[in-house]
Amino acid sequence: MSERGAERQAGVRVKLWDGPVRFVHWALVVLIAFSWWSSEDHLNWHRWSGYAIIGLVLFRIWWGFAGGDAARFSSFVKGPRAIAAYARTLPRRDLAVTPGHNPLGALSVIAILIVLVVQVTLGLFAVDIDAFEAGPLSYLVSFETGRRISEWHELNFRILQGLVVLHVLTIAFYAVWKRTNLLGPMITGRRELPSDPGLAGAPWWRFVVGVVLAAGAAWLLSKGLRL
Amino acid sequence: MRAMMSRGAAAALALGIGAAVAAGGAMAHDDKMPANASPATKAAYARHENFEKLGGAFKTLNDELRKGSPNVAVIRTNASYIANQARVLPTWFPRGSGVQARPMSEARAEIWTDAAGFTAAASNLQAQAAKLNQLATAGDIDGVKAQTRETFQACRGCHQKYRQEKKS
Repeated sequence: MSERGAERQAGVRVKLWDGPVRFVHWALVVLIAFSWWSSEDHLNWHRWSGYAIIGLVLFRIWWGFAGGDAARFSSFVKGPRAIAAYARTLPRRDLAVTPGHNPLGALSVIAILIVLVVQVTLGLFAVDIDAFEAGPLSYLVSFETGRRISEWHELNFRILQGLVVLHVLTIAFYAVWKRTNLLGPMITGRRELPSDPGLAGAPWWRFVVGVVLAAGAAWLLSKGLRL
Repeated sequence: MRAMMSRGAAAALALGIGAAVAAGGAMAHDDKMPANASPATKAAYARHENFEKLGGAFKTLNDELRKGSPNVAVIRTNASYIANQARVLPTWFPRGSGVQARPMSEARAEIWTDAAGFTAAASNLQAQAAKLNQLATAGDIDGVKAQTRETFQACRGCHQKYRQEKKS
């Protein structure tokens, strides 16, 4: 459907999402599902999954400042006017052509990132009911506080679930109503657009620096900041 | 229209934060014991306090063991506290001290309807905690470390069968 729409507009196929953005996205999909599954009976794996999510989220935040154009917060986070203006175009049944996150989608990106940061932070301090399984920083809080943090950890996950459902419904809305395939570009990295927006990539060393920083921070946190 | 949108977004955000805080508050188990509480209600509140302290001791023990060089004195104090509390733990559950005595109670009715099963689970904890205490007294840190897992399984086994999570 979107293919035909793009052809009608005589579009060009451009590189939109770079490898790191796509990897972070799909790794988060897998690890969030895995963390959910492992949260009852496999807390050792749950911790490892959390450390990996810390690394991914920290990298994505770095990439939002140091990555290519489409990944940068400054390229897609917009003010209320732009958001409202974009929201008014939603009912229109035409092809969505924003090269990257649209102003409304930016809110979803930021919300998901914030909720993930809150989630892993709470997880670092969480303590289970048996006072045995616990996050690596839980030694800094009392049993009672750790239990309360665990409850917030669970509550915040419900918020994350809500954001994920909203995200998936939005992708479906764009596919059905706007005849725009947003899923394909997140897999292939490429998307048909009316014209080439000329998105610049990022040099490889910035990727390396981001990976080292994010992995290093995740490793330190997994050790409870104790060397 | 534009102003309305952003005001709407701000309202939605405020509502979300408010709901989260309210839910967090509702989930916290710091409800106060009524002044004229019955003995069963008093038992339910006292039990909660006892479990908070027991969990605190086990957490302190586990935190100590996860340090580079654990302090044996801390391990001994807490292992002995856990073993002693495990011995009296069945007395924390007088009949009628479940949700009927305190709606926030996490005690399942099965504690009393399946008294034999509950007693067996409590005996298991007593055995594991006694062993934990023996190893701590002997100063066998590795032994204590391994035994914390067995003790944890005893806690967990009982919690899974006889404890219900309160969502409100």
